[in-house]
Amino acid sequence: VNRRGVLIEDTFAEAFTMRAARIVVTAKNDRWAREAALKFSGFATSVIACKCEAAIERTLTPAETPDARPGVSILLFTMDTDSLGKRLIERIGQTILTCPTTSCFDGLPESTVRVPAGRALRVFGDKFQISKVVAGQRYWRVPVMEGEFLLQETFGIEKQGIGGGNFLILAEDADSALAAAEAAVAAIAAVPGVILPFPGGIARSGSKIGSRSYTSLVASTNDAYCPTLRLTTASALQEGVNSVLELVLDGLDAAAMNTAMRVGIDAACRPGVRSITAGNYGGHLGPHHFHLRQIMTEGGAS
Amino acid sequence: VSDAVALALRAPLQAAIELDGITADRIAGLAELEIASLPVWVGARQAELGEFFSVRGGRSARVRVEGALTNVHGLGAGMAGGEMHIDGDAGRRVASRMTGGSVEVHGSVGDEAGMAMAGGTLRITGYAGDRVGAAEAGASKGMTGGEIIVGGSVGSEAAARARRGLVVVAGDTGDYAARAMIAGTLVVLGRTGGEPGRASKRGSIIAVGGIVVPITYWHACTFEPPHVRLIMTYLRRRYGLAIDDRVAGGRYRRHCGEAGAHGRGEILEWAGQ
Repeated sequence: VNRRGVLIEDTFAEAFTMRAARIVVTAKNDRWAREAALKFSGFATSVIACKCEAAIERTLTPAETPDARPGVSILLFTMDTDSLGKRLIERIGQTILTCPTTSCFDGLPESTVRVPAGRALRVFGDKFQISKVVAGQRYWRVPVMEGEFLLQETFGIEKQGIGGGNFLILAEDADSALAAAEAAVAAIAAVPGVILPFPGGIARSGSKIGSRSYTSLVASTNDAYCPTLRLTTASALQEGVNSVLELVLDGLDAAAMNTAMRVGIDAACRPGVRSITAGNYGGHLGPHHFHLRQIMTEGGAS
Repeated sequence: VSDAVALALRAPLQAAIELDGITADRIAGLAELEIASLPVWVGARQAELGEFFSVRGGRSARVRVEGALTNVHGLGAGMAGGEMHIDGDAGRRVASRMTGGSVEVHGSVGDEAGMAMAGGTLRITGYAGDRVGAAEAGASKGMTGGEIIVGGSVGSEAAARARRGLVVVAGDTGDYAARAMIAGTLVVLGRTGGEPGRASKRGSIIAVGGIVVPITYWHACTFEPPHVRLIMTYLRRRYGLAIDDRVAGGRYRRHCGEAGAHGRGEILEWAGQ
């Protein structure tokens, strides 16, 4: 399969089932909603070291938010429900509670599996907090020096979230790789239900499991895709490839992942890009397999 | 099975009748004849519903009640689910002790609408009498859940002793609104009557159209309460209430009280911007 001269390799991305939450932050204006969301989703690139993966999903208009203010939705992924609750408490408490003018709402209201992160955080109010039930949902008014922080009591969980979807852009030079990756990020940004947790949506340091030299390492550099190691390791890079960038995707469901990968790969097929491939572990670790050619020709399957 | 059950009053009533327990969830499992034989009370005399109402349809959780109903009391009382539409003015205790479903009145109602309500929604397009969402005589708690939306004004003691839930009055309230309120929220878009929030322990009065704050409340600050914005946005979207942005997102004077009770109640008085 060839798209605008770029080879789509016959391989698949291997992904894992993760727990997901959607957090809606609103504020007086876009700036403060975004400030809170950026802080919330900081240092959340990979569960391996950050305990969670998180990023801004999209910007919300006042018509889309519970309190009719500008907002931002964030997706947060962890490997288990217990960890998701802890990460929500830590991150809402340190980044949204502290941010001027913000309120914090659940973005998965249909979910029956819920974590009481707001109930835990209410105690910051030191028994001065006040409960309000609106439309059957309980909220907490926590007094703060600015005024009050409004926080929903529980947050829905998607237990069938998917983490670790990916594709790699193999390019002739670093500029071409970056331009293609940026185009892919921009295209995926329009797809709801998916985030790209790495900086700017792009990872330059893809990893392999473990290490050939350091037994204590959980992950180490993906030497097969490092162009500088083409002659010193079992390289997977064809001649002419001098830079590789990876996009890692987390999504609420397989349909969103398929759509995101399709539009992202399509956007990445630009001049200077030789091929698109994906990372997997032979299909033995993750239950979700996103076959690149199937995605690009049939709309995808998992 | 029909789309809805229609109860049409056969003739103007000379005496009041009590329809407590004639609810949408109860009717949902009954055929037309069974509905017509449901018991109602005329004073101390038990009669059948069909004596006063013509019944059309059966086995539906949607009920429409029509006629001059001001002498019909207890419409929707104790309802736990389904929908009841009342076309015309109704009597006392509409949707009292309701726990679920929705009652919609296209008209005005008498006293004690939504009294001791625990869940569901009651919407009244016209006016309501005294003790909307309040407690039954001798009871320690009034409304414990659900939502009451009144398009017009209400009488005295709205949301008195309310423990939980939301009461919204688009018009004015009479005196003693939220008297002895335990928790919950009373929103008054019109003018709030005299002596509001007397003896309240907790709970909120959100007063938009003017209020005389009792001297037993203290002014704490003027701020933009985020939960007011949430509630007002919800009311606009869910019930189509015409609430100005300046009201939804405006500043409110927070008065805490009352001094003679628990002291954790509040009156949020719209500051005008």
